[in-house]
Amino acid sequence: MAEELAPESLDEGSQETPEQRTARFERDAMPLLDQLYAAALRMTRNPADAEDLVQETYLKAYGAFESFRAGTNLRAWLYRILTNTYINGYRKRQRQPVAQPSEEITDWQLAQAAQHTSSGLRSAEMDALDRLPDSAVKDALSQLAEDFRMTVYLADVEGFAYKEIAEIMGTPIGTVMSRLHRGRKQLRDMLTGVARERGFLRDTEVVS
Amino acid sequence: MSCGDPHDTDCREVIAEVWMFLDNECDHQRRELVQRHLDECSPCLEQFGLEEHLKALLARKCGGDHAPDALRQRLRQSIREIMLSQAVLGAEVTVVRAEDGSVVEVSTTTVENHAWLSTER
Repeated sequence: MAEELAPESLDEGSQETPEQRTARFERDAMPLLDQLYAAALRMTRNPADAEDLVQETYLKAYGAFESFRAGTNLRAWLYRILTNTYINGYRKRQRQPVAQPSEEITDWQLAQAAQHTSSGLRSAEMDALDRLPDSAVKDALSQLAEDFRMTVYLADVEGFAYKEIAEIMGTPIGTVMSRLHRGRKQLRDMLTGVARERGFLRDTEVVS
Repeated sequence: MSCGDPHDTDCREVIAEVWMFLDNECDHQRRELVQRHLDECSPCLEQFGLEEHLKALLARKCGGDHAPDALRQRLRQSIREIMLSQAVLGAEVTVVRAEDGSVVEVSTTTVENHAWLSTER
């Protein structure tokens, strides 16, 4: 995958010593470790791989940090390295069957433009979703196809803008929107299903 | 399908844009249109509420993991080691000492060594 992890060099005259660079890295990048680890957990779906992935990501980031331009989005830059590292290494190693659902980016609007469902059921569905334990929601997310999972995660948990997600994942914005739509729809269906299984939602209350 | 009531903006259009609205990706003009529609169309507002709820649910339940302390320590250690090895490889340090052994001048010529940067990406 072609990429520019080290886009521009620092302005001339701002030569940093390795010590200064290390201090800057520790000050700016290390506080994001929890977030990157959480994202790695959602990607790899297991703590051991997540640790390895984050470690590799941080060492790469440190290695390229000299060329990281202050003022640009460090968080997005780190996520991009994380994503690339995952795609180029861990995904292959994990040997998981990678679901590749078709991604026609034109049909999501049509698919979404379904009819209103009757009111009254919605609040029941909301209540049921709220009663689900964290683990059930995480499990549902982990069952989404990888591209959907990461896109939904980056948007809804990390709060990245579409444009940033497009850059992190190396895809057009239309693809980001398509993945978000499908991912969220699947997630909602899955969570509603889990809520029903656990008896939080009666069959008659299910909104599809 | 529409809710049947007349609106300036059709329900289908609004529902298709609910996520963009929630993701704060609509431009100002679209935002106002959608907002106006939501103010006057309760079925759309409910749909909106449900999607908003799902988004908040994910944010609340799927984040917040903490990196293990051991990982943090290991990383700090590795970074320090890399920095030190870089200093050894990349810099020529000249120390000038006075006769009593005290340091009077330290000059460093940095020869940047980027070999370790070119890790496979």
